[in-house]
Amino acid sequence: MERNRFAKMARLGVAVTLISTVFVTACSSNNASPNAEGGTASTKPSSLKVELFDRGNTPAGYTITNSYLTNLVKERFGKPNNIDVQFVPVPRSEEIQKLNVLMASGTEVPDIVFTYDSGTFNRYAEQGGLTDLTELMDEYGPNLKKFLGEDTLAYGSYNGEQFAVPGRRLVLGKYASYVRQDWLDKLGLPAPQNTEQLYETLKAFKEKDPGSTGGKVIPFGMTIASAQYESLLWSFIEPMTEEQRYTLTQQLGSNDFPTLLPGFKNALQYMNKLYNEGLISKDFGLDKDKKQLWEDVQSGRVGFYSEDAGELYFTQNNTYKNLQTNVAGAVMTPLDAFANSEGKFAKPTYAPNGLYVMIPKSSKHAVEAIKYLDWMASGTNLFDIQFGIEGENFTLVDGVPIVKPDAAQEASDKIYNFGDFAVIVNGKFAGDDKKNTDAYIAQTPAEYQADMRKSVEISNTDPITPVRFDHPIAAEAKYGNGLADKFQEFIVKATMVKTEQFESTYAAMMKDYMASGGQAILDERTAAYKEMGSK
Amino acid sequence: MRMNMYLRRNWHLYILLVLPLAYFFLFKYGPMYGVQIAFKDFNFFQGISGSKWIGIDAFKEVFQNQDFFDALRNTVLLNFLDLLVSFPAPLILAIMIYELKTSWFKKMAQTVLYIPHFISWVIIGGIVLQVFGTQSGFINNVLSGLGIGEIPFLTDKKYWLITYLTVGVWQSAGWGTILYLAALTGINKELFEAAEVDGANRFKRILHISLPGLKTTIATLLIINLGNMISIGFDRPFIIGNVAVRDYSDVLSTFVYRIGMESGQITLATAVGLFQALVGLVFLLGANYASKKLADESIL
Repeated sequence: MERNRFAKMARLGVAVTLISTVFVTACSSNNASPNAEGGTASTKPSSLKVELFDRGNTPAGYTITNSYLTNLVKERFGKPNNIDVQFVPVPRSEEIQKLNVLMASGTEVPDIVFTYDSGTFNRYAEQGGLTDLTELMDEYGPNLKKFLGEDTLAYGSYNGEQFAVPGRRLVLGKYASYVRQDWLDKLGLPAPQNTEQLYETLKAFKEKDPGSTGGKVIPFGMTIASAQYESLLWSFIEPMTEEQRYTLTQQLGSNDFPTLLPGFKNALQYMNKLYNEGLISKDFGLDKDKKQLWEDVQSGRVGFYSEDAGELYFTQNNTYKNLQTNVAGAVMTPLDAFANSEGKFAKPTYAPNGLYVMIPKSSKHAVEAIKYLDWMASGTNLFDIQFGIEGENFTLVDGVPIVKPDAAQEASDKIYNFGDFAVIVNGKFAGDDKKNTDAYIAQTPAEYQADMRKSVEISNTDPITPVRFDHPIAAEAKYGNGLADKFQEFIVKATMVKTEQFESTYAAMMKDYMASGGQAILDERTAAYKEMGSK
Repeated sequence: MRMNMYLRRNWHLYILLVLPLAYFFLFKYGPMYGVQIAFKDFNFFQGISGSKWIGIDAFKEVFQNQDFFDALRNTVLLNFLDLLVSFPAPLILAIMIYELKTSWFKKMAQTVLYIPHFISWVIIGGIVLQVFGTQSGFINNVLSGLGIGEIPFLTDKKYWLITYLTVGVWQSAGWGTILYLAALTGINKELFEAAEVDGANRFKRILHISLPGLKTTIATLLIINLGNMISIGFDRPFIIGNVAVRDYSDVLSTFVYRIGMESGQITLATAVGLFQALVGLVFLLGANYASKKLADESIL
């Protein structure tokens, strides 16, 4: 009886094993077939796995790993080089967590991975998880090197070794300011040029309420995102020596922060004055994602604000269009309102790099990976990925590709995720700097393009470029994120506190900031600067 | 032999247990392997076993960090205030609901009260902003319409605490009544009738029958709550909190999130987690012991 039961079990087990074996074989032969089709070449094709962000927006008819662009890559790069290219989708929203898991696994990780987070890149490089690309790029990536240029490439080097291919950022300007021109005209006021004039303007907006908002006017739209206050803060920074620039700047994440620079306190004092006189959005400390600000701008309550240059013209938020729909006759003009003590409109700009494209140390296809990136940088490959097909997706006007506003859905679906393929560049690459700017401006509706051009000009006026040492500052990697949070807290508290408590709050926050890593960064940067001079 | 017979007859029962047991081993005991990260300089590419031992360096670093102590203080502070406010609320509500005689109203009240429990904190965060915001919040709009000044419910530390506690009661009180109501239903009805015949009024009946009948439930919930004194949910302080009140709103869970997930300092985050678990254990055992001594009720 007992025996019999065991025999029955055993037979069942064998059956299950058999069935699953058949099933597995069936699957794998399925997988093998595309290879067989392309197998006209005599040698066995090598393979390349490339990470691809999945934003869950794949149009019907395509899948994330089988679309017009995946086929374009396979056709134009895979076939001629006898490389079987596979794309590994990674959900955009949990990109870093997923990447960490993949990297730790060692075997499942794609041959090409990327992230925007410099901290993650530095950590991987420091822990020895990345392939050194110096020689590979010399041998297999001449077009790539030429496309990126020395300045950009430097961002992918860690202690002298090239551990990443940094994407090239095309639009370097960050911010412009905007004022309600119709309000200025109504009150007969000039456009403010510096913070003193701005104060007068804001006061007039509040007292005379030219937009008839019924007391709901927000003279200066503010949030806790850097776009709203960085232009203001940096205009208070006094002229510095080279040494001060290197030692006193604090790089937290990928941005330079002015916490220790001369003049920072005056900037906060100014914000404090504006807040206590009711000239700044009252709940700005709660507005992390700018949603409230955009709503306030669109409903015509905001008189002045600073923002990422041109944000209001893009159709993504349609900020300007909505404003003009809501408030008849509303005119928002781009301007530079923050002259510093030297009369310059100094403001921060982006570093010339985008994504960090990396090849894990465990990858056996580093050569193919560099070949792929080099292929992307050569000929019209990048252009075709980003702009699609002439006549279908875009038309050429004076050599500048202009996206067809009436492009068929089918055509736009083809290149729906072009940005996630074009990892070697941040922005659309149309050929040269001028064409890039023109193509960038051409992305906004025709009626706003003059203002858009002005915004881009403003964002590039008197740029403050990021200061970089030739090696990462360890204290910045360690305390960066925490300090960036502290910095926000600093701004919010110093701004919202009653004027008579400003001094004590400022002192307390500064002490806290220094104790939480600010001092460690200062010490390390000072040492690094001395070392740089002695070399 | 007898044991064998017993097993053969009842093996189904044991099979039923396999799944929950597997769950605990897989998701509760298995991950404890990772606790050693707190004592290692964790390297992604060498894995847990390949990383170097560093002794208690991580703990030293954590205990030198002022932010950690702030987060610890806030965790205990918020939990303690929550205990004062949110713990009695469901008890009172349950007794009130139980006293209701109209059954349709009773059911409706119960449903209405516990619906907030099913709303995600992210959505509650949005609602809180709409209601309590200084500039565009509903309450402040009414106040300024009446000519009373605005109240910074979300950006002033003290007001924020009140907002935080109120929202907590609103969200959880209704749900908490379920256990008490179940316990109340378990009390012998004849006791109430007898008391009524003896001339006890409603308040007396609650005091001498309902409350003693709930003693075990109250003690159990209190022990569980005290055991959780040091651990705190992530969503509520993270979403209701903001930059202006970080002095109070930064708690251990958000602190761990910041250093672990955002800054990638896995070792430090694990050390804090381990510390939290150990202190939580002490609290739990302590509360259990006290309850055993004082009320002769315990769960261990």
